[in-house]
Amino acid sequence: MASGKKQFQRLARQLFKLSLVDDAVSPERVGGVLAYVERHHPAHARALLQSYHRLIAAELARGRADVEHAGAVPQLTLDAIAAAMTKRYQRPVTAAARRNDALLAGLRIRIGDDVYESSVAAQLSALGASV
Amino acid sequence: MARAAFFIRITVMLSPLLLLAEATGHVAEASAAHGEAGSGITKIFQDFGISWPFFLAQVLNFSLVAFILWKFAFKPVMATLDERQKKIADGLRYTEEMQAKLAAAQQESSTIVHNSQVEAARIIDEARRAAKEYLDKQTREAATQANDLLAKARQAVELEHKKMLAETRGEIARLVVATTERVLAKKLSDADRAAYNDAAAHELTGV
Repeated sequence: MASGKKQFQRLARQLFKLSLVDDAVSPERVGGVLAYVERHHPAHARALLQSYHRLIAAELARGRADVEHAGAVPQLTLDAIAAAMTKRYQRPVTAAARRNDALLAGLRIRIGDDVYESSVAAQLSALGASV
Repeated sequence: MARAAFFIRITVMLSPLLLLAEATGHVAEASAAHGEAGSGITKIFQDFGISWPFFLAQVLNFSLVAFILWKFAFKPVMATLDERQKKIADGLRYTEEMQAKLAAAQQESSTIVHNSQVEAARIIDEARRAAKEYLDKQTREAATQANDLLAKARQAVELEHKKMLAETRGEIARLVVATTERVLAKKLSDADRAAYNDAAAHELTGV
């Protein structure tokens, strides 16, 4: 059982590597991988696809900056954030805005597991923790 | 002592013979004085009616009786007396020895009693000293435990006080933050938020 699990995880990683073009997820390659799986029905296909989906989602999250904001954020600011993160992570990063009034004012940027935040809510929380 | 009494009795028994011999001696002396030595004794014997055979028979008879008495009466009596005397002497000596032993035993018992009294006094002193030390030790331990309990109680009170202050401070901070958030949520305008967002973007992209 354990060997089977390792086997489909290894296969999922191989399929994930085949899905990258210039360190970016290629939709065409992803479509080809899915067609391959649909056609050949490998063992543990469901678990294989779940693992493959996790890897693709993580890679897409690494290339996407999720910008939470309270108040208006101009597109120019989002472009500046994407450019700055692309430069920092040395890979293409796109910015996606999402409104979050709980921040009161300011921004919270998530890229993969990294979080950058400069908001009134965070400062108030830090103030409350420091008292 | 018994032998002396025996000789006295023999002397009393032989006294008639001695008197007879003495009288015979006097008669002989008188006859010699008158020049009739050869027939004097015979004359005396005749005057007193003494016959030599009877006299010798009496002497032999007396000697035989004396010997029998000596052999079968006086000698056992003397032996009994000597044995009794020896028993009495042994008893006296035993009594003296017993008295000496009794004195020694009394001396030893008095020594033992004295030693026992000394040992008892020493044990009592030691017990008193041990009891005093134990009491002092218990007192010190009780004082130490009381001090420890007091210190722990003080620490607990202090910790509880600090904890209460921290909780109060945290609660106040939470209330202040919550109130500030509500106020800011109402009071911040879109322009303020936009300006803050620009500043935040500049800060985050410049990191």
